[in-house]
Amino acid sequence: MNPFPMLLADLRALRWTAPAIVLLVAIAIASGIAIGAQERALRQGSARAADDFDLIVGAPGSQTQLVMSAVYLQPEALPLLDGRILQALAQDERVAAFAPLGFGDVSRGYPVIGTTAAFAGRWGRIAASEGRLFAAEGEAVIGADVNYRLGDTIAPSHGTAGNQGRHGEDSEEEHAHRHEGHGYTVVGRLPKLGSPWDRAVLVPIESVWEIHGLGNGHASETAASDAPFWQAGTNKPGAPPKPQDRIGPPFDGKRVPGVPAIVIKPKSVAGAYTLRAQYRQGGTMAFFPAEVLVSLYGALGDIRSILVVASAANTVLILLSVVLLLIAVNGLRRRRYATLRALGAPRSYVLLVTWLGAALLIAAGCVLGLALGLAATHAVSGLVAARTGLALAPSVGIGELSQAALLCLVGSVLAALPALASYRAPVLSGLRAD
Amino acid sequence: MPPSPLPEGRTETLVLDRLALDRRDGDGRSFSILALPALTLEPGTSLGVSGPSGSGKSSLLHLVAGLLTPSAGRVSWGKTVVSALGESERDRWRRRTLGFVFQDFHLVPELDVAANIALPASFSSWRLDAAGKRRALELAEQMGLADPRRRAALLSRGEQQRVAIARALFGEPALLLADEPTASLDVARGEAIGALLVEAAARCGASLICASHDAALLARMDRRLDLTPAPAKLAS
Repeated sequence: MNPFPMLLADLRALRWTAPAIVLLVAIAIASGIAIGAQERALRQGSARAADDFDLIVGAPGSQTQLVMSAVYLQPEALPLLDGRILQALAQDERVAAFAPLGFGDVSRGYPVIGTTAAFAGRWGRIAASEGRLFAAEGEAVIGADVNYRLGDTIAPSHGTAGNQGRHGEDSEEEHAHRHEGHGYTVVGRLPKLGSPWDRAVLVPIESVWEIHGLGNGHASETAASDAPFWQAGTNKPGAPPKPQDRIGPPFDGKRVPGVPAIVIKPKSVAGAYTLRAQYRQGGTMAFFPAEVLVSLYGALGDIRSILVVASAANTVLILLSVVLLLIAVNGLRRRRYATLRALGAPRSYVLLVTWLGAALLIAAGCVLGLALGLAATHAVSGLVAARTGLALAPSVGIGELSQAALLCLVGSVLAALPALASYRAPVLSGLRAD
Repeated sequence: MPPSPLPEGRTETLVLDRLALDRRDGDGRSFSILALPALTLEPGTSLGVSGPSGSGKSSLLHLVAGLLTPSAGRVSWGKTVVSALGESERDRWRRRTLGFVFQDFHLVPELDVAANIALPASFSSWRLDAAGKRRALELAEQMGLADPRRRAALLSRGEQQRVAIARALFGEPALLLADEPTASLDVARGEAIGALLVEAAARCGASLICASHDAALLARMDRRLDLTPAPAKLAS
């Protein structure tokens, strides 16, 4: 037997209802797919962004807040660590490299981060895509998405609570809190990292300290601090730094200013754990960002589970509605199927026509739902990237495919209900139906 | 009209033996829908069934088609006792033996003329072979249907009934049942369709049972069965 001529006729008869059924199922599937794919993309993207932050040390407080500030550059007022720790770390044999992170200033809505050139180059993992890394005070290297050009002068402002401005645009608030007389010359641009650091302006930590009148943390600070950054910032891209402008560790000044966070690259795993243990006492807090991320992912996973359950319930309700609708549609077609039977069609023919029709609509909804779910995930990822700079790479994984396949299977089983109703319908009452 | 020589394999006789169909009303009391002591229909013969509405004309057709099971008696087609067959066997018997023409045509409006005519082929085979396609087109031509690719929804009532007759004839049935085939047509179309039906049945050597109120159509039949008040009268 060949149910397809009749099946196609049935689908043609549902030229408005069939697309509506497919769309309903697709929306139900897409919401589940989008939740799963988005959560995974968020986890992968955020973990990737934390790759170069092996161990973070900060003043006691919230680890989550420190991760959000140091890794994801969410503006927050953080207590400062004693600058002497920087001197201690420079002497520590367990430390391969370390970098202070100084936040708080902004320019055109971009956070200005004071750090070391080594960390700007992610411990040698990346090189500037244009120009070079900063090599002297008054120089800046910018993230891939920062709207400045090489050679531009960046005028930093003091960041204020609630004022994040719009990226790439000056604001009244920034003008009002400008660090007058200070500026940085853009000497390089970093490649795309897919993290909020793509929207950051990286400058020497010494410059950040000096802007705030704290010296530069080096023994030569008296001489250098007399030179305003407008003057220091006259370095041109490509020009070698002057010897007296040495920046970066060791910070050998008599008094090294404090910083909100220090990133440490330990030499070994064992060293990482002993460093973490050591800096967990005595007025400091040390942790691996993964620790915070794991607990964040736990919470995210809980939310995801709730959303998935809600979405699954929603999908089942929609599938049931579709099945009821199909039962009603088949009820209206009683005479059509009774005629087939009177003409000699076996009951199995009617069963196949009605089941295949319903199953095909549900399967089409599942496939469309996968595509819609992926599109929705891309759209949400775009929004997340636009808001945070965190590049997400959403994809439909085996989990989403299994979910869609399972719902397709459940839908196909449920589709047997209207088919069975038609299969069992008496021929004569069907022939007499209006 | 004298019956034409019958093709091979169309020599089965329809026998209705002490056929009765009873129903129960709302109070559970039994009443008779149809009671027919005996009827034998020779191969290639046409029978007109008349009677007022509710006299059991359609029920008789449904009993013969195996869509109803009699309360008593039996329906035989040659050696096959149709009324004793199981449901799937009756389906198969209908598919191989029967053509059915309905008062309201019951075409599939979304299919074209040729696809409607050939639809019964899809009940038993996956693919319509070239001979099947040719037969569908020939039947359309015989029925005066100029455009076999036209969708059934776009046909006039007369054209639809022609398609329904062609569909009933597609499987070369040995027995053709027609339930009020002209009732929903105007007089002129009814006349034409009636003539076409009788002629088509005769051409393929099928026995024809036609339930109708249409005197002109009934007059074309070899035999008449009037179901007006019991006992039923069988006239030649």
